[in-house]
Amino acid sequence: MSKIGKLWNALANPDRIPKLYSLVLAAFLLVGFLVPISLDTNQIYPRPVPQEQVDEESPLAPYDRGGKVLKTPGIIKAQYSENSKSIGMITSYMSPQAILVQSISPYFGTSIYSSPGGLIDEVLYYSRGFDTILESTILMMSFVIASWLVVNFTMNTRRAEKDSKNSKKANIKNINISKNISKIDSSSLNKEEE
Amino acid sequence: MDITTLGGNILGTIPLGDIVIYLTPFHLFMFVVVLIFTALIAMSRTETQVEAEFGTLKESKVSVGLSEFKTRRFLAIVCGLATAGAMITGDLFNITLFIALIGIVNVGIVSAVKQVDVLDAAYQYGIIAMISSLPLFGGAAMILAATGTLSLFVLSGIAATPMMIFGAILLLIGIAGETGIAPFFATKAEMFRTPGSPFILIIHLSSLMVIIRAIEVLLIIVT
Repeated sequence: MSKIGKLWNALANPDRIPKLYSLVLAAFLLVGFLVPISLDTNQIYPRPVPQEQVDEESPLAPYDRGGKVLKTPGIIKAQYSENSKSIGMITSYMSPQAILVQSISPYFGTSIYSSPGGLIDEVLYYSRGFDTILESTILMMSFVIASWLVVNFTMNTRRAEKDSKNSKKANIKNINISKNISKIDSSSLNKEEE
Repeated sequence: MDITTLGGNILGTIPLGDIVIYLTPFHLFMFVVVLIFTALIAMSRTETQVEAEFGTLKESKVSVGLSEFKTRRFLAIVCGLATAGAMITGDLFNITLFIALIGIVNVGIVSAVKQVDVLDAAYQYGIIAMISSLPLFGGAAMILAATGTLSLFVLSGIAATPMMIFGAILLLIGIAGETGIAPFFATKAEMFRTPGSPFILIIHLSSLMVIIRAIEVLLIIVT
């Protein structure tokens, strides 16, 4: 068999593909060390300097964007500001509980940010809201697939067996067929080698 | 390269906050083609494979059960809609999300099958889809860090830097893994052995269309 034929055969085995892919990716990531990397400081979604708000002892650190609800907008940017005219107007909204937590301790900024009724990330929900919908769709689809598999392959096997009588029968036959094929293959290969 | 050079005159935009969808003849054509295929697949029934048996003159039929059929049809429709979205979106991060959705749904379409070889191939494809989320989102993040924007319209006006080209190639590796094109095609080729033809077709169609769109996006970024 020619060398390229051997290579094609090696590539035709699904078990080898993830390994090959990881190797290609790893090799390319190593090349990444040679590429000059520089951060464009004019970022569209700016973040404060790390620890800056903590040093200022803001109780909302590190998510304090300023602004007053429905009066003055907080510091938040959008690529196309004409599409999100009221950006920043509700980013500082806090529920009474969040205000209480804020007054107790300066260390609960992350909790206030991550709880409903706390600070609102308008990049997630307003200027890039479509991305958030898609992200949750990806999650939902993986849950749909996983739960379907759990219900049909592990919990409800009796009904699944009834449902797939045809395909099961065919499977058994398939296995027999594949055994036959492998016998034929190996015998023909042996002949070739001889 | 300019969007209009690649796709034709801009007929209009759909603003969704920062994610602005540009309607050009090229994008619209691809969008409509995918939608028509999705509609056809949603309406059609699955095939029944007839297999000849060894040693006898008998044959066996391999068909798809009802609940399996429903799940696979649902996932095939989602896959079609995600592909249609990837055709038309004008935002780099948005397109990576659509491609990630296509990857997961592709695994789902074949995961309902009860054939060991097919499930094994789908498992291997799932591993690649998981690994490729690193270069996919990493590439988009590199381009964001290098330019400060994700809008393809703005990106088309920015001259390419080595970091942008690196990000673009990283993105290409991610898309190649997620859509399973050659030389990583073997896992997908094994997946196609399962019965249920129209749903399997959407796996093919989505990779084909996404690759065409990805090449356009890479040309916008790099040139």
